[in-house]
Amino acid sequence: MKRRDPWRIGGAVFLAGLTIFALLPMAWMLITSLKTQFAALQYPPQWLPKNPTLEQYSLLLSPGNPVGQEFLRYLFNSLWVSFASTVLGVVVAVPAAYAFSRFRFPGRNLLFYSVLLRNMFPAVVFLMPLFIMMRWLGLVNTQASLILTYLTFGLPLSIWLLKGFYDNIPVQLEQAARIDGASRFQAFILIVMPLSSPGIIATAIYSFIMAWNEYVYALTFINNAERLTLPVGLQRFFTEYATNWPGLMAASFIMSVPVVALFLVLQKYFVRALTEGAVKS
Amino acid sequence: MANARPGLLRRIVRHRADYLYVAPALLVMLLVIAYPIYDTIYLSFFNTPPNLALEDKIFIGLGNYQRILGMDSFHEATWNTFVWTVFSTLFAFVLGFGAALALNREFVGRGLMRGILLIPYVISAVAASYIWRWLYHSDFGVIGAISVAIGLTENPINFLDSTDFVMASLIVVNVWKEFPFAMIMMLAGLQTVPDQLLRAAQVDGAGPWHRFWHITVPHLKGVTLVTVLLLLVANLNSFTIPWIMTGGGPAGASEIWITHIYQLAFGRIRFGLASAYSVILFIVMMGMGYFYVRALTKGDAK
Amino acid sequence: MNNLGPNGFSRRGLLAAGAGLLVGPGAARSAGVDAAAWSPDYVRKIAGTLDVDTAAECAKIVPLNHTGKVTYWYVGPNQASPQIDHDIDAQFWAAFAKTYPNITIEKQSFDYNNVLDKIRTAALGKSAPMVARLTLLWAPELAAKGFLQELRPEDVGYPTDEFWPGAMKSVTWKGKTYGVPTNNETMALIWNGQLFEQAGLDPAVPPATWDELVVFSRKIKEKTGKFGYGMVARRNAGNTPYRFMPQCWAYGGGALDEAETRPGYGQVYLGNAGTKAALQASYDMYVRDKSVPVSALTNTQTENQDPFIAGNLGMMISHPSEYAVMVDRAGKASGEDKKQADAVVANMRYGLIPTGPSRRAVVFGGWNAHIFKPSVVAGKHDMDAARAFVAFMTGPEWSTKLAWSGSNPGNTRGFRTSWMKQRIEQIKFLDVTTSMLTAGIPFPVIPESAEIMNIVVPDMLQNALTGRMSVTAAADNAAKQVKDLLNLG
Repeated sequence: MKRRDPWRIGGAVFLAGLTIFALLPMAWMLITSLKTQFAALQYPPQWLPKNPTLEQYSLLLSPGNPVGQEFLRYLFNSLWVSFASTVLGVVVAVPAAYAFSRFRFPGRNLLFYSVLLRNMFPAVVFLMPLFIMMRWLGLVNTQASLILTYLTFGLPLSIWLLKGFYDNIPVQLEQAARIDGASRFQAFILIVMPLSSPGIIATAIYSFIMAWNEYVYALTFINNAERLTLPVGLQRFFTEYATNWPGLMAASFIMSVPVVALFLVLQKYFVRALTEGAVKS
Repeated sequence: MANARPGLLRRIVRHRADYLYVAPALLVMLLVIAYPIYDTIYLSFFNTPPNLALEDKIFIGLGNYQRILGMDSFHEATWNTFVWTVFSTLFAFVLGFGAALALNREFVGRGLMRGILLIPYVISAVAASYIWRWLYHSDFGVIGAISVAIGLTENPINFLDSTDFVMASLIVVNVWKEFPFAMIMMLAGLQTVPDQLLRAAQVDGAGPWHRFWHITVPHLKGVTLVTVLLLLVANLNSFTIPWIMTGGGPAGASEIWITHIYQLAFGRIRFGLASAYSVILFIVMMGMGYFYVRALTKGDAK
Repeated sequence: MNNLGPNGFSRRGLLAAGAGLLVGPGAARSAGVDAAAWSPDYVRKIAGTLDVDTAAECAKIVPLNHTGKVTYWYVGPNQASPQIDHDIDAQFWAAFAKTYPNITIEKQSFDYNNVLDKIRTAALGKSAPMVARLTLLWAPELAAKGFLQELRPEDVGYPTDEFWPGAMKSVTWKGKTYGVPTNNETMALIWNGQLFEQAGLDPAVPPATWDELVVFSRKIKEKTGKFGYGMVARRNAGNTPYRFMPQCWAYGGGALDEAETRPGYGQVYLGNAGTKAALQASYDMYVRDKSVPVSALTNTQTENQDPFIAGNLGMMISHPSEYAVMVDRAGKASGEDKKQADAVVANMRYGLIPTGPSRRAVVFGGWNAHIFKPSVVAGKHDMDAARAFVAFMTGPEWSTKLAWSGSNPGNTRGFRTSWMKQRIEQIKFLDVTTSMLTAGIPFPVIPESAEIMNIVVPDMLQNALTGRMSVTAAADNAAKQVKDLLNLG
């Protein structure tokens, strides 16, 4: 008896609805970005742009004019800051997660908990003391200040995720390597690291997205317009100066492309990392 | 073995190399957390009025705490924070779990579908805030226009400039941004539910609901707890969406703790008051932190 | 050149003319302008009667071969500024480099809504710039916080009475002076004559009173479906008080007693009948007539520019620079947009801000140059280089040029220069806004001013406009907040 499964139909309908919910804002962002400024300010709106134009995109992406130069600089800054903090994040998270998984040193649990608690402290309430601290370190108005703080966002989840991963890698593999004469460190690098690459990739994606999207610290620490990252640049560029909605939407679109592409390509690692590592008990 | 339980110091010395692995992570954390916490707690005992240099701040003991607990705006923000956190978490989880269930079977285009649903999660909160501000715009917004066009309402709905709707409107944005996270966590959880068990139950004649309730759900307890806690923490800490979209307005109707603290510190330059407020937030966070750590380290602490 | 202005700066005349302008300290010297004779004609008459040699004036303060470095923060021209602002900014830096070839300026330009937070954070973190140009609302707070170096106009070579007394008052805290005004301005009412015509109104006649403005706004909405008045009621935005306070003062209200001839800042006016009447008028427009944008609660003035140039908004309050902005925007528009924008520019009119039962009032606005104390500045502070830079910026030449499209020279000798003459010829409506300078009322000169104007006043508007409180309750609530804030039982 092969009746249509009502659960399956319900699921399909639910998915369809959810997809519309997820995509409609994106669609309107794209449509608006193709309108002229006046066309965007019509009520009722033009459902599809009557005279679609790529004006905003060419403005933003052509290095030939000051707007494009500035925007591309923000884009580059964001890429650099996100990339640097991601790489550093992995470098810091991997050994820590490994140690928490494998070693039984005193204070291990306490330290592990305190790492996990980092996310309990919201960014906003620390702005002033962190600013003062960055001045001590001589990092005010440098991208290093952002890289340093961004590094810490992703760490709790990264370490937790990777630790779960290492927990599931049989210790025997390392022991075999040790018997063959590898040092503990070599065993870690040669055996464990390659096996945990999905976890590392997932960690990296997570850190990258966090850093790419961060707003408050960038707003507070950076004064020099040349060093701003995109989220702050976006605001500075389009909303405080003029409410150019098509321009804002075009910039939002361009800003979303790298992370969305990155995520779509690598999402299976993310799910796998969660499945094989942290979620499995 | 000379000593069954070696001294702590001895054990630390013996494991000294282990600490090298965790040192970088701890150092970075310490740097970014320790001084700010100290400074925040310290400042919370001082009055720092705008007409006084910060060096001349006045020690008032618990005065700031008393003031905050007595402020109407605190009570309002507390209620808003509660509504914001609970409903954002609830809806994000329900939608995410639903999507995960629907995606947890093979069908053509499943990967693509999952990818599409993940898009809101990876989009910058700043961009998302502007996109939704534009969708909601009281005068030119498309959602208002659609609701009029299909005859749902006579006039465009006032989403962001109305004290009645602003909170719900912001929660929708937040849910839109967060449900994919719940989805991917739950999807990962679902994939660990053993297929044999489900099939065996099916052979035994158990209906889909029965299988779901008695096999799937118990398997998901751990991941559910973790997901919900991560969402709760993220929501309690979220700043960008409410700040960019409404700045806590109109008339404080979307003011939550975080935006209120920011406003006190940077809008009203009451660092003392804002610090005390932050400490109150810490205390609540620590309460949640207990469950959070327990959930994340479940079955691990030996 | 010391034998300046033929006419004396009449202190008596100024007292008589300026409703809210209080005379600051300083000896009566002749130099600037005669406020008693202030009128568009007078402004036109004196323009072009004075030659200045900026380099020579500066050389008296700091030798032109001085070697040093200055860090400087300001709100520079941005994407929404007309081209002329960008050009003048570039000219300014070139001219300074020529005058003081050995002083390097490390400049940072910020946007208006961020710069106060930036300055506060930087000063507390001891990494403030040496020099900053800031809006006058913020000076008392920064001075009270101990961030600013004492700085009188005399320290950079100009007599105090060459500056508007209201402007000098804004840089005075507890009897000491902490800055030099760079430019001062008042706003005007701007309207779209075409929309007036479509609404059956005379396109050449603006609303005379605020009550009339409410009526005009309603008529525009009823007849054309477009928004009547560009209300701004956003929190944390300086734009809100610049538009609401003139209305409030006109009805006899205020934040404190700042609109009185001799304000003492000891009485709260927010709960009085005048404030309530002004709030009621706003309520009538927003709630009763729905003749203003619903998004007023989340809008800043920039959000009014788009609807205005698109022909969707009848009236707004802004600087004369708005004209240059609109011309620029029309120039950049294309196709259908261009036709619409050109029509709006052609029909754009300026007039005095409406009057009310008590007075005609406008905010006395402007910016000041400040030098920060070495203790809050990162690195070595070069006081001489800082003074040279402030002298250069606040002299008659550059205070006029830097104010080109939107303001007026803070150094009133600037009104006599040939550049002022050029501006009057070039900039439409400049005479209208300039003529209101003597009716300008400064915000209360207290450290809490920024908080009152940027938070308490917008909150009051929002409480009333969202219906969260009645008009009366909203005003009383705001009054109570300010009393608590200032400890005025």
